[in-house]
Amino acid sequence: MLLVAVIIVYPIVYTGWMSLHEWFASSLTRPRFVGLANYGKILLGDARFREAVARTVWFTVVAVAAETLLGVAMALLFNREFWGRGLLRTLAILPMVATPTAIALVFVMMYHPTLGVANYLVSLVGLSPFRWTYSSQTALYALALVDVWQWTPLIMLIALAGLASLPREPYEAAHLDGASPRQAFWHITLPLLRPTLVVAILFRAIDALKTFDIIFVMTQGGPANATETINLLLFNQAFSYFNMGYASSMAVALFALVMGASLLLIRVRRSTTW
Amino acid sequence: MAARRITRRAFVQTVATGAAAGPFVWTPARAQGFTWKRFSGKELFLLLTKHPFIDVLEKNIPEFESLSGMKVKWETLPEIQARQKMTVEMTANSGGIDAFFTSLHVEKKRFWKAGWYHPLNKFLADASLTSPDFDWNDFTPGARAGVTQPDGSVSALAAFVDANVFFYRKDLFGPKGLTPPKMLGDLEPLVKKLHAPPGTYGIVLRGLKNANATQYPSILFPMGGTYLKDGKAALDTREQAAALDMYAGLLRQYGPPGVVNFNWYECSASFMQGQVAIYMDGVNFASQFEDAAKSKVVGKVGYAVLPSGPGGHFSPIYITGMAVNAQSRNHEAAYLFAQWATSKTNMVRELMAGVGVGRTSTWDSPEVKAKPKMPADWYQAYQASLKIGRQGLPEIVGVTEYRDIIGVAIQKGIEGAPAAQVLAQAQKDFQDLLNRTES
Repeated sequence: MLLVAVIIVYPIVYTGWMSLHEWFASSLTRPRFVGLANYGKILLGDARFREAVARTVWFTVVAVAAETLLGVAMALLFNREFWGRGLLRTLAILPMVATPTAIALVFVMMYHPTLGVANYLVSLVGLSPFRWTYSSQTALYALALVDVWQWTPLIMLIALAGLASLPREPYEAAHLDGASPRQAFWHITLPLLRPTLVVAILFRAIDALKTFDIIFVMTQGGPANATETINLLLFNQAFSYFNMGYASSMAVALFALVMGASLLLIRVRRSTTW
Repeated sequence: MAARRITRRAFVQTVATGAAAGPFVWTPARAQGFTWKRFSGKELFLLLTKHPFIDVLEKNIPEFESLSGMKVKWETLPEIQARQKMTVEMTANSGGIDAFFTSLHVEKKRFWKAGWYHPLNKFLADASLTSPDFDWNDFTPGARAGVTQPDGSVSALAAFVDANVFFYRKDLFGPKGLTPPKMLGDLEPLVKKLHAPPGTYGIVLRGLKNANATQYPSILFPMGGTYLKDGKAALDTREQAAALDMYAGLLRQYGPPGVVNFNWYECSASFMQGQVAIYMDGVNFASQFEDAAKSKVVGKVGYAVLPSGPGGHFSPIYITGMAVNAQSRNHEAAYLFAQWATSKTNMVRELMAGVGVGRTSTWDSPEVKAKPKMPADWYQAYQASLKIGRQGLPEIVGVTEYRDIIGVAIQKGIEGAPAAQVLAQAQKDFQDLLNRTES
């Protein structure tokens, strides 16, 4: 209990307390109590923060949607029996094991508009080169792609576990009734898999909302502010500008956002009846 | 805490009396009173930053130990982590760090306002503490200005001085009979002549926000622009608009694809790969260009001073220095270390290793001339740039935040937004920053 209090409760409470102050960490002046002024600024005054929230949510939606689609598709594939399945499945989950920072550095090189391999591959398929992280129109998607590459296997793994535990009977019954494989997927597999998928999506969404490392390494929030998510902005406020109080209030806001998203998804899961 | 404060005050008084007595005993005999061994037996702790200057310095620290009889311990961290550690140590008032390596272009005003730099003026004037051959006036005017605060207090001893210069491909300039531009107005026509994509792009400059803020003054200063006017933000002036138009326009029209998010790493990579004809950046990147393992343009790079303009002739400079921690209990001993680190002997070693320094005498030292590591025009461009050096960033508390503000404006400019519009927003944000932090 004491441990929990010291390492979990205290930092949260202290962050909340700091968020009510104006405090520049490197000046020797004491923190000044400003009440809810930081929150007022977040909600009303600070366009940069509002954009960051929208961006964070959009990044999460794009990345997690793509991961779910691909992950389920891969799970269905690996659920079948075929030669070399074990090896391929192991290979498929390798990206998950790698360190995000290292991956980000590799992708930085791959994305280089003139020297990188990404544009070479694109040109092989006959497309014109992209700017990847080097343009504010595409940077967020290029980052989402890295996230998708790394985390699709997680969704696949969870979905695969879900598939393995599905009962056989409904399929046999459907088969007898003359249902096509596609109908079986839509009307049996997907509804039965839903609770598992919600958990997978929940994990990924929470993680994606607070993505930091790949963005920090690859774009530092740029070009302009095109990839500045809440976490990036928060980091800048706290450790580049030393605006501790204001950064704390952002941390609390991010916490609320993650909490809200989780509650929503858990509710979706609860409402599932079967 | 209280006890420490009294000691510090008593200590400052002692130093003050010493300095006051200075004029009366200012004789060669007194000057000979200087000895490196004065604090023999003491132990110093330094907080250093990963930096080419420090790489060279670290190797020679044992020499200082035997010279002074002091024991030196140190920790070397990447710049950002070092700054975070410094902030934590200082906020906790631990007094554990005696001297530290400081990036003045980022920390100068913030650390000074926080009272973290121990002022060195009295030490410099004290012949019993300053070696007779230290020679403060040997530092270039820009280097001296860079370590001096608005109230005249000296916060550090200048170590490494970076200057922005003009890099160009001699092999592309030569056949066309082109030479580096003397005036800013000649730059764009020149770039246009050299621009032949996809083989060669005319120019590369940093596009990435924050990073670009150190290169922008290469065009802003000669254009006549400044950051502040009478203490107020001056980002919405005509000169600013002209400078941003030029900086962003050059990159938009003649830069390699994706230049909007190029940091120095991507810039120098494309220059070293031979994809770019002109590159303006810190003079110290040159050692990579001349490294055959990394660069395809070894021996093909020319070095020149930046072009002049209607506002004058400048080279933005960035200074790091060795500072004495105000919270240290060994101010004088730490000062001895800072003095040794920036002494003539050490600075010659730095320059021999290709690390630029702000001491005039080192550039003419026979050792450097006998064994030049870099091409002759590199030394000339560097030395000439130091003479016209001007602090590249505004000397304010919120430097990093300023760099983001102007950095975003530049990136939006590169992506096609009108200069006046992005600068209007930047002006508002910058003034807001000044209101919050400078009052």
